[in-house]
Amino acid sequence: MIPPAETASPYSVEHCAMPFCKGCGHAHVLRHLGEALGQLHLDPSKVCLVTDIGCIGLADSLFPAVHTVHTTHGRSTAFATGIELADAVLADSKLKIIVLIGDGGAMIGLLHLVNAALLNVDVTVLLCNNFLFGMTGGQNSAFSPLDFVTATSPKGNIVPPLDICNVMVDAHARFVVRSLATDKNLTSTIAQAVSFEGFSLVEIVELCTEYGTKKNQLSGNQLRSIAERHGQRFGELHGTNDRPEFASLYSGKFPPVQSVHPPGRSNGNEDSLDNFLTPTCSSSLDRKKGIIVAGSAGERVQSTAHLFCQAAVRAALYSTQKNDNPVTQGTGFSFSEICISPREIWYTGIERADAVIIVSEDGLRETSAKGIFPKLTPEAIVIADSELKIPETRARVLQLPFRSTCGAVKAAAAGLSAYLTLTDDFPVSAFHEALNGKTGAGKTFFAESFHLMLDSLCPASFANAGR
Amino acid sequence: MQKLQLRSGNQMVAEGAVAAGCRFFAGYPITPASGIYKGMIDLLQQRGDLAVSAPDEISALAYCVGASMRGFKPMTATSGPGWALMTETVQYALMTETPVVIALVQRLGPSTGGATQGAQGDLLFVEYCTSGGYTIPVFCPSTLRECYELTHRAFSCAEELRTPVVLLLDKEVGMTVARIDYGDLQTPALVNRPANVEYRGSLPGKQRMYEFADRSEVPAFVPVGGRMKVTATGSAHNKSGELKKNDDETLDVLYHLESKITAHADKFKVLGIDREEGAATLILSYGITARAMRESVYLARAGGKKVSAINVQSLFPVPYRELTAAAEGASRIIVAEENMQGQYRQVIEHVFRAQEVLGVNKIGSMITPEEISRLII
Repeated sequence: MIPPAETASPYSVEHCAMPFCKGCGHAHVLRHLGEALGQLHLDPSKVCLVTDIGCIGLADSLFPAVHTVHTTHGRSTAFATGIELADAVLADSKLKIIVLIGDGGAMIGLLHLVNAALLNVDVTVLLCNNFLFGMTGGQNSAFSPLDFVTATSPKGNIVPPLDICNVMVDAHARFVVRSLATDKNLTSTIAQAVSFEGFSLVEIVELCTEYGTKKNQLSGNQLRSIAERHGQRFGELHGTNDRPEFASLYSGKFPPVQSVHPPGRSNGNEDSLDNFLTPTCSSSLDRKKGIIVAGSAGERVQSTAHLFCQAAVRAALYSTQKNDNPVTQGTGFSFSEICISPREIWYTGIERADAVIIVSEDGLRETSAKGIFPKLTPEAIVIADSELKIPETRARVLQLPFRSTCGAVKAAAAGLSAYLTLTDDFPVSAFHEALNGKTGAGKTFFAESFHLMLDSLCPASFANAGR
Repeated sequence: MQKLQLRSGNQMVAEGAVAAGCRFFAGYPITPASGIYKGMIDLLQQRGDLAVSAPDEISALAYCVGASMRGFKPMTATSGPGWALMTETVQYALMTETPVVIALVQRLGPSTGGATQGAQGDLLFVEYCTSGGYTIPVFCPSTLRECYELTHRAFSCAEELRTPVVLLLDKEVGMTVARIDYGDLQTPALVNRPANVEYRGSLPGKQRMYEFADRSEVPAFVPVGGRMKVTATGSAHNKSGELKKNDDETLDVLYHLESKITAHADKFKVLGIDREEGAATLILSYGITARAMRESVYLARAGGKKVSAINVQSLFPVPYRELTAAAEGASRIIVAEENMQGQYRQVIEHVFRAQEVLGVNKIGSMITPEEISRLII
């Protein structure tokens, strides 16, 4: 509960029983934090401590006036980032969020620290580095000095310690300070960090009296020299990149808007029918059909299939589209499976294709690899580019010079136009309207020569028509 | 009036989320869920709401949980490999009673599996992800309309029960584009977490972080940054949110976390029941396979056979009562799902004492209507 306003400082931890071992650096840090918060005269309801796992995570109970969120190991900075993003962008508020994390948590959650620094969210991290995992029995950490003896480095640590301040500076953090728990000015350092608008981190080097001192004959006045022996500097370590904190940048780019768009429209407030595919013609199709379009990446196979599906809806049909391509999207085959039907399409797969449109070598290879040809019935049709060598099939085959007549990026559209001209599943004009809609006013998608080629198509056009 | 468009399931999830009042999305790319990420970036940013790229899935969900603690409805989207990373934070959300919706678009596993191959193999991985075996509500759409409406439902459930909720899609439902009629969509009323109260002035004497009289009660939400102090922890805690070992009140809180879900389960049941009098066969399915089931039912009836079917859209908590009621009179239950073992069948088959229970299962491609039809008697 928040104490009444007349209390001197709602943050004082002077009279609290500390849950730490005698001489533990954490007690110093939390006293300085209490004093810093008191000096800043912050409304306690606008302060949130986010604590990590480990001894420093016992701090919550010492700050009964402020919000406390005790998190999972290493993730404290990530939860704090989420609270801050929502607070600053969505609530337009100025919550002060302070993370308390140890050296163990800092390493397991290193990416959260790096990302908070990169985003430059208004979060303050107090990293209490006592060189080891204290709560679990004094195991070595990524911050243990060389030769440091711990339960899990009994002959001395052989891995150099991480310089977290350098990492933070490299992540473009602008307020980075290394300090000692015994530094007299730690209160003002913490107060500055909390006041700083943007990400700030204070690494506080301290002692674990239970596990750090005895085996290493270590005392508090050696801490500075241990850190310096590893090239770790004290004081303020500035990043060079001067920049605003995340929320102000974000809100500048994406200012809040009052109007709420109804579903179905990506923009605009009008409930305009232009946003929908209103049927303009009809179809005599009496059953579901499956059409496969196979070509090459970058040759508009899938986007053309999408326009075909749009045209089917304009013809009052149902349509579905499933795409396939290799894991790398810009090379190799490109594949679309289209279903059209006068009734709702439940099953979106194609067991036996009614038609296969193949417009490139990649497409042909993939059609063969998927085992599509042997399943084709005599009623099925294959429409392929003239250059392709189509394997033996029971289906009827039509080959036309799509690529040479229309170009590679229009070959899929040309093949589907031939399909509609032959089958009249729905008017080919509906498909051409969809294609022309993409070309701009006054221009038509296909040249006149291709329209003439389409006009000449008839059932006798199939290579194996007389079979 | 018809308002027709072509949309993918992933797009409808994004639109359903925004319609449900979602204002915070943190995402990380993964096939086949990236469409939801892209959709939320487009929809939220143009409204001035927050959609942000996270550096990994752990961060994505942690950002969402933080935003929810601040009082906003969040969502993230992932697939199996990302879910593997999220399970730590899912448990944290459960423990701290923080509402969050996770859309999980399944692909073929295990491990990185098949990024562009569909599957329904994450069902048990999702449901049994907690230490302690707590119930995670799971909604599973099979159509575009269900994607939209169940996303809305998932938010209502998360908010009302203050718990993480999973919206379980699969690659085929998420990525396949189909015709949708916006004129036919139902957008239910917005549901917000109970008593999102900011206490001002004198504080109520006994109000605590997790106040409940009965274990099944959902405590009033206290936002970080409000006038009432938040005390949250992922460790076992009493009703004040204070970290405790197993005293009676702390154990009461742990029982409460499960009781509040099961006690309110009826409210969030969604089943598409298509029952035919005199049918000996009842087919149960969900997600993409429910579409094959509906096709096989259509074909069977066209061929003069009688058959009943249920499209289970709320998989967990398991709607046992509805399933057993629908099975009355049937002698054969077919559970069709695109995984190796029959994951949902394993969960539900013990309740069908009077019936023969058969599975239609496979991996690598969609189950076809014919594969289901073969078992209809």
